[in-house]
Parts: sequence; structure tokens; C-alpha cells
Amino acid sequence: MAGLISLMILISLAGALITFLAKTREQARTVALITSIISLAIALKIFLGFDSSISTMQFVESYSWIPSIGVTLKFGLDGIGMPLVLLANIIIPLTVFFAWGETKEANRFYGLILLELTGVMGVFTSLDFFVFYIFWEIVLIPMYFLISIWGGPRKEYAAIKFFIYTHVASLVMLLAIFALYFNSLGITGRASFDMFELLKSYQVMDGDLIRGVISLKDAVFLGLLFGFIVKMPAVPFHTWLPDAHVEAPTAGSVILAALLLKMGGYGLFRVILPILPFSDSKGIMITLMAIIGVVSILYGTFLALAQRDLKKMVAYSSISHMGYVTLGAAALVPLSVSGAMYQQFSHGLITGILFMSCGVIQHSAGTRIIHDLGGIAKYMPKLTFVMLLGFLASLGLPGMSGFIAEFLVLVNSYFTLPTFVILALFGIVFTAGYHLWAMQRAVFGTYNEKLGHIHDGANYEIASMAILVLLVLYFGLNPNPVLNMMTVNAEQLVKFAVGLRGVMI
Amino acid sequence: MFSDFAALIVLLPVIAFVLTLFLGKKLPHGGAYLPIAAIAGSFIISAGIFLEIYPEGIVQQSIPWFSSGSSTMNMGILIDPLAIVMLLMVTFVSLLIHIYAVGYMSHDPAKSRYFAETSLFTAAMLSVILSDNILQFFISWEVVGVCSFLLIGFWYHKPSAAAAAKKAFLVTRIGDVLFLAGIVMLYVELARIIENPANAFEIGSGNFILQFKTMFEAIPLIDKTQLTYITLLFFGGAVGKSGQFPLHGWLPDAMEGPTTVSALIHAATMVTAGVYLVARTFPMFAATPDTISHGVPDALLVVAYIGGFTALFAATMGLVMNDIKRVLAYSTVSQLGYMMLALGTAGAVLGSKAVGISMFHLISHAFFKALLFLCAGSVIHAVGTNDIREMGGLFSKMKITAVTMFIAALSLAGIGIPFLNIGTAGFFSKDMIIEGAFEYGEVTGDMIPYAFAVIAALLTSIYIFRLWFMAFTGKPRSERHSHESPSVMTIPLMILAVLALFFGFSHTGFYGYVESNFELMGVDLGVHEGEPFHPSVIVILLPVIVGVVGFLIAYLIYNKRILDMSKIISSQNPLYKLLYNRYYEPKIGADLIGVKLTHDVAAQTGEFIDRKIIDGLVIDTIISSTIFKIGEVIRKMQTGVVQNYASITILGVALLLVLLRLEFGGI
Repeated sequence: MAGLISLMILISLAGALITFLAKTREQARTVALITSIISLAIALKIFLGFDSSISTMQFVESYSWIPSIGVTLKFGLDGIGMPLVLLANIIIPLTVFFAWGETKEANRFYGLILLELTGVMGVFTSLDFFVFYIFWEIVLIPMYFLISIWGGPRKEYAAIKFFIYTHVASLVMLLAIFALYFNSLGITGRASFDMFELLKSYQVMDGDLIRGVISLKDAVFLGLLFGFIVKMPAVPFHTWLPDAHVEAPTAGSVILAALLLKMGGYGLFRVILPILPFSDSKGIMITLMAIIGVVSILYGTFLALAQRDLKKMVAYSSISHMGYVTLGAAALVPLSVSGAMYQQFSHGLITGILFMSCGVIQHSAGTRIIHDLGGIAKYMPKLTFVMLLGFLASLGLPGMSGFIAEFLVLVNSYFTLPTFVILALFGIVFTAGYHLWAMQRAVFGTYNEKLGHIHDGANYEIASMAILVLLVLYFGLNPNPVLNMMTVNAEQLVKFAVGLRGVMI
Repeated sequence: MFSDFAALIVLLPVIAFVLTLFLGKKLPHGGAYLPIAAIAGSFIISAGIFLEIYPEGIVQQSIPWFSSGSSTMNMGILIDPLAIVMLLMVTFVSLLIHIYAVGYMSHDPAKSRYFAETSLFTAAMLSVILSDNILQFFISWEVVGVCSFLLIGFWYHKPSAAAAAKKAFLVTRIGDVLFLAGIVMLYVELARIIENPANAFEIGSGNFILQFKTMFEAIPLIDKTQLTYITLLFFGGAVGKSGQFPLHGWLPDAMEGPTTVSALIHAATMVTAGVYLVARTFPMFAATPDTISHGVPDALLVVAYIGGFTALFAATMGLVMNDIKRVLAYSTVSQLGYMMLALGTAGAVLGSKAVGISMFHLISHAFFKALLFLCAGSVIHAVGTNDIREMGGLFSKMKITAVTMFIAALSLAGIGIPFLNIGTAGFFSKDMIIEGAFEYGEVTGDMIPYAFAVIAALLTSIYIFRLWFMAFTGKPRSERHSHESPSVMTIPLMILAVLALFFGFSHTGFYGYVESNFELMGVDLGVHEGEPFHPSVIVILLPVIVGVVGFLIAYLIYNKRILDMSKIISSQNPLYKLLYNRYYEPKIGADLIGVKLTHDVAAQTGEFIDRKIIDGLVIDTIISSTIFKIGEVIRKMQTGVVQNYASITILGVALLLVLLRLEFGGI
């Protein structure tokens, strides 16, 4: 009998295959919804059995796959992966339900959504670098199709840009993984892609990539970091994201923002932080990450302010919010790291509401250009209600999950990175600014009669968003169920870094 | 007994909010009775607690909220004298405003949303008051801000209302960020104090890091410079919320909401939160070093000057406004300045007495200002305009409104009879502030705050009686048939009028009770507690004299018309222009900083960098022109992207192997 994790992954994969084969739209969406709910049920079962007080891997299962090169199908969950597996299993059923009205090639559409679930769960649970990489790449493919088949007018450009961008990043990451692999092989003489073994072997890596310029350790570190921050994405490697979002269908955008971006942050915690204390230029690396984080926060904010397309604005807001993840990770304080992890979870929920709002507006009004909207609250009261709550959550309103995350990151990063925190704080006013300004112009004010007759969101759309709103409120008032999973692992992660506090500040 | 139910003070209006929001439409009066009953319940519990704990009890309840590693955040309730007087005032005034709103909002189709939002607004304010820790305080404070956003923009289909709502939120948000920065710095400072074994500082069991109690106990250990930063950042939050200069601009614009909302914002909730924050953390302000003026803690000096300046600055604009609500709005800004002034000046020389003085004015202001707004609402309800130039001669048509508003004006102007101790609420509360400022001047030799206070008092009297004479006396200037409001609206007016007249007599008991606050909390203020002072006759008389003079000036100009104001009110008069244009604050704030600098310059520059430099120069040239074209070619050859992907992967692995072979000399 397979373990719960592989069961969850296999069920979503099987569900995806059945959905592809479905004859009718009704069959496809029903299978997709049921599959994702079963997967959610398993995730909840795992969650209930999860011990938040230990940092080690739980529910570990291991199957030999390619022993000759040391590849093992090894899965497990700890406080870093568990919240994200939960998130994925919350987002996917809601996305399927939200997209209940999809008519174009429904079987493939819902199948690809389930395939995304398979991919991200694989990424968040794999303990073997080779398998991790395979899942990492699997995630790309359904998203490519979701954009290029169901996307907007410039879908080809966006899909290829998305693919190439993240693929180049993956490739660089792959090079770094292989470097770790061969390094470990050279030392132990035993072939293994075991993630922890390879990360541990980083400590004893030496040599230069280019003598006198960059050591192998630093090169590997930067390679991995590049792989992850492109995915997050962080400035200046972010321009694929707005384009992808603008063209992607709503379901694609929700998955992209809520789950795919989280893979980048997950990489920071799973891979980058464990090796950071052993890098040759750790001070520089910390500063580099802090700069990337703060620049993303501020730059994303100002870019969001400049946007005319509501969805593009939301896309830039993601860049800004993911900056907190990088900043919190770089600060290397237990609670800044927990806060950064919590930001991942929280942003996944909130951004879902925002992209769904954009989707409903596009569908109903036929445009997302803020300037062309105006006063739609008059005919879309239900949407306005959930959207306003989503926007308030996104601008960091206390009482909602985003605030807990940002508060933890800001407060605790101040211990080691005070200057960066003060800079990040400036962003908060402007964050509130673009959110409210967009609401004021698009939703409130006088109704723009040119829009003609518009209708409110469908019940399944509003319901999906309302569930997310409730979760955002719940985790804003009671962060403990999720936060407690993270704290032990966060403490474990920074244990080696204690001596590093405040190195380069 | 009642203190066991302290949490219900907040929870009842929250429950009413949820019920009204979802069920209000189906209930009579938009479900107004739900929040009314809930807030009445909060009032009864507050009153019960007051009777239980008076004169020296404190209610403290706390539960852990979420763990921050070694330090845990909590949620809790602290009811001390400071909190209980605020609780009683807020629940009572809010209750009256809610009752009044049943009549005032009766024709509005969205009234259930209105009552839901005001209920939440009240709940959030009550939560601010009850918080026993700075984080919960901040959270509630932000919810107050959001509710104000929703209520100011209540008629969201009006573009001006949507704009005013946004402005209110953003301008107060500037203050909030400063406040948050203060909390961040405070937390880190406290955590360092706790971590350092040399301090031997421990948080007692059942206590938590960001509790006011812990903060106050740690004051002697906090680095003095840090303490100044922290308190000034807190004050930054208060400046935003309480509409102090330079973040005052949102308050007059907030008049876009229904008048009852204005009454709620200006009297009972929201704007007083800033003053309450400074009063609540007063021991920290009092402990800041005196580097600028000898014997005056730096933070209190800043509070005194900002407050005093705002009191005068806002009063000058109150003189020229023609919108009845805007006059009152500037009056609020000005009176809040007085409260700050009291905390700063009296705080420096009289210690915790300042908290009593400031809070007393806060409460008496709440009564007469709520009354002024509700009267203004009654007038607007009757004549259908906000413009006082179109009113006039209303006295005979709406006597109750006219008389109650006159009482409120007397109270605002601080009219009373010195030495006999007879007077309106404002007489007692404002006199005490002005005398405190004088005492400050005596001790420090700095009479500027005192001068601010006295001149502002004169202007206050002029603008409020100008308003009253223009609205209620003279000939009617519009055709509209006006009538007295229904009794659901006039009864709250009468109740408030009684309080505006007689609340002042409670002053001796009030001062003594609120002053004991920090003592009851076991906090040693560590500052000199001043002796009761005996100012000269002229100092005691002056506030009343300027009040009466102001009344006479307004009477002669706006009732007797001995002066033709049209010569002064003209676009040629630069002073008038400056005042009427509100010192160009909307132009500088919204247009220049908000739109030009932030959007047109900063954001558009970013957009340019993104599109033209990162994408244009780097990505589209490098990637698009090379790899992207390859991708196009491959795609056109109808080989799928998967093969493309596979080939690139293989290429990558091959490259890797070559590299590694070079590096390790063969594997």
C-alpha cells in the first residue's frame, strides 16, 4: 500500500488522465472537481496527523527508481512543504469550481488544471533532487498549454516568453544540481540524488568555477538562487509574469500566482537557506537577497500603480508581495523566515481572490482596462463585496492573513536588516494607494454607460471567492494552525546562521 | 460580574454587523435595531463595569494569540480609568447617533449597509479602547480606518465621495505606517532587552511582550534615543488619525459621507483614537529625553507644538468655509489640536494630570461636537443644502435644533462664569487646557503654545457663532419649506444638549479618577508631578473674555451686519484666497505629491524601465531575437514544444557534463 503522499499525487494524476478522456464537459468538470476534493481530503488527513513540534520529515516514503545513478522516488513533508500542499489542495478545487462555466475543450482544460496539482504537489514533497526537478519541469507544461490555448490575443508571445524564461532558469538550476551531485559523488563515491545529502555535501565543496573570479560554491549557490527567484519572480527577472497573466485564462492566472510562484519561495527555504551559511560570500549573498526582496517590494508597487489593466496591476502586486518572502528569508531570523513562509501561504489565498475578480469583470464587462470601467458596483454588488475584501487583504489590512505575514517579516527582519525594513515600509502607503485607486476608478464612482448592460458574477464564481475570503479572514485571526507548522522548521533553518546576523548591514 | 463579559463590549456590535449585513434588508429600518440593541448592550456592560471598578479597580484579561518564538503576541482587554471613560462616551454617543440615524437615513435604499458598517466602526473603536497591547490596538485602529473608508464612500456612486474615501484612507495610512514602524522598533528593542541577561528583565507569567504593561515596565531599559524615535513614530500615527497638521486634509473632505457618519467620525470614534493613543502611551512620551528644551521631554514638546499649531491653523480655515459641515470639520481638527496641546504642555509640567485634562476635553468635545453635527444634519435634512449662505431665518421654523445648536456653540466657545464655577462642558475643559499651557509657559519661559491656544479660542468663538447666526437668524435666503425634524432625531439632540451643558460639573471627580490611571497600572512616570497651580485672575478670565468677544464680533457682523463682508470675501483678497483654498493643501497633497510625483513621475518611470529597458533592451533583444525566434521556427515546423523542451534539456545536460569534466578531470 502506497503512502498517503504518493496516493495523493497518483490520484490527481489519474484524475487528470480520466479528465482528458472525458467525452463531455459535464463529465470532465465533475471528474476534476471530485478528484481535487479527494486530494484535498487526503491532504487534510495528512495535516491532521502532522506533528508541528518536530522539524524532521514526516510521512516519508521511498521507492527505488534508477539505482544506478542514485535516483529514488522519495517523498516526505515537513513544516516547509505541508502548508503549501494544503494551499495547492485548497486552490485547485476552488479553481475548478470557479471555472465551472468553461466551454472550450473542457476535458483538456480541467485535465491540465489537475496536472498542475500533480506537479506542484510533487515539487513540494520530493526529497530527491532528480525527482524534484522532473516535477518542477512538469509544472511548466500544463501552464504553457493553458496560456497558449485558452489565452488572450497575444497568447503565443506570452506562453513562449513564460516558457523560455522559466526554462532557462530551470536549466541553470539543473546545472547547479548536477554540480552538487558530482561533488557528492566525488566525496562519498556513492551516487545519490538525495536532497539532504546533496545539500550537506555543499558544505565540503571547493574549487573555482573560474579561478580568481568565482568559486564553485558561489556559482552553485547563485545558480540555484537564480532558478528560484526567476520563478517567484523577483526584479529584474520578472517581466514574464505580467505578460503571462495578461494573456492567461483566469484559472491559469490563479494557479500561476497562487501555486507556481510559491515554488520559487519554496526553493529558497528548502534549498537556499540550508546552504547559505556555508557559501563563500555569505554576507554578499544575504545583502543580494535583501536587495532583491526590497527592490521587488517597491518596484512592484510602483509598477502596479502605473498599470491601466486591472489584471496587470494584480500581477505586479504579486511581485511586490513575493518580495516579502525574499526579504524575510534573507533576514535569517526564525520568525522572519516563518513570516516569509506564511506570506507564501497567505498570498496564495489572497491573489486567488484578486485574479478571480479580474476574471469576473473581464467576463461581464468585456474589459479590464481600469479607465474603461467605472461604477460597476452598481450592477455587480456581490463581486464588489468579495473583491473589496480581497483588495483590503492584499493591501495588508490587519485581521486578514496578509497582515500577519508582513508584520512578522517586517518586525523580525528589523533585527538584522533594519535599513531594508525601513525602505520596505515606505511601500505600504503606495500599496494601499494602488489598490484603492483602482477600486475607486473601476468599481466605484459613476457607472460608465458605455459598458452597456452588465451582470454580476455567477454564483459558483462568487462562492469560490467567498470561500477564499473566509479562509483569509480565518488565517488572519488564527494563524496558529499553519504558522505552528512553520516555526520549528524556520528555527532549524537559521540555526547555522546565528553567527551571521547583521553581517553586512 | 459585568467584567466577566467585557469582551462582549466589542463582540456585540461585531455580531450586529454580521447580522445586519446579511439580514438587514429584510428587517424594518434596514435592521437598525440590531446595532442599536448591541451598542446599548455594550453601554450597559461598560456602565456596569464602571460601577464595579470605580474608584480604583482595573480589569485585565489576556489570552495568547500567536506565538512569535520566545515572545508571544496576545489578545486582551485592559479596562482602566482611561479606557472606561472612553468606553462610556463612545458607546453612549454612538448609541444616540444610531438612534438619530433611524430618522436621518430613513429614505436611503442602502441603509442596511449603513447600519452594518457603523456597527463595525463602533466595534473597532471599542476594540481600540479595550486593547491591552499595542498590536491589537493597531489592528483595531486599522479596522477603524477601513470602516471610515467605507462610510465616507458610502454614496460610492458619487465620484467626490469615492475620492474622499480614498484620500481619508491613504492620508491616515501615512500615519499608520509611521505607527507600524514605531511598533517594529519597539518590538525589536523589547526583544533585545529581554534577550540580554544583564537586564534581568522578564515578562511575568500571564503577560506578553507588546502589552502596555510590559512596555511601561521596560521604559527605564529602553535606549533614550530609540524611545524618542518610537514615541514620535507613534505620534505620527496619531497625527494621521486625529487629523493634525500636516495630515489634516482628509478630515474636511470626509464630509462626503452621510452627516451621521461625520458625527460618528468626529465625535465618538476614529479621530479621538489618535489622542487616545498618545494618552495611552503617555508614560513613554514623558520618559523621552529633554534635548531641545530643558525639562520638557522631546516627544511632548513636539506634541505640544503640533497640537497648538493645528488648533490655530484649522481655526483660521473654519472662519471662511461656507459648507456647514466643513466649518465643523475644521473645528474638530482644531479641537483635537487642543487635546494634543494639553498632553504636550501640561504633560511636560504637570505629569499625568495632563491625561485627565486632555481626556476631559475629549469627552466634552464628543458631546458638543456630536450635537453640532446632528444639529447640522437636522438643518441639512430640513433645507436640503449644506451651504450656510443659502440658509438663514431657520430659528422660527426649527426651534429645538436652533436652541440645542446654540448650546453646543456655547460649549465649543467655552462660555461660562469663572470663579462661580458655572459653565458649559467646554468652559471647564478648554479653560483647563489653556491654563495648562500658561503654566507650561511660566515654567519653561515658552509662551508660544499658550498664544496658539488663546488666539485659536477667539477664532473658535467667531466661526461657530458666524455659523449659527447665518443659519438661524436673518431672512430666509432660500425658497424651500423647512420644518423641524422628527422626534427620533430631536430627542438625541436634547440629550446631548443636556450633557454639553452640564457635563462640565463632573470635572473634579473626572480629573482625579483619570489621573490615577498610570498609578493604578503600577507605572512610575518618573517625571515631576506639578503642584496645583494658582494662575492670576487675568489668566483665568482670558479664555472666557476671548469667547465672549468672539461671540460679539460674530453677532455684529453676521446678525447686525455692521460690516459689509462682501468686500473682504473676494477673490482679490490674498488672505481670504489662502484660507478659502485651505492653504493649497489639496493641491500640494493630492495633486502634486499623489498624482504628479507618485504616479506621473515615479510609477511611469518604473513602467518605462520595465517595458523599454528590461523588456525592450534586454529581454526582447536577447531572448526574443535569438531563442524566441528559434522557438518560432520550431513551432512552425510543427514539432511540439515538448520536443523543444527535451532538446534544450539534453543540450543543457551535455553542456553540464562537459563543464564538469573540465572541472573535475573526468567522472
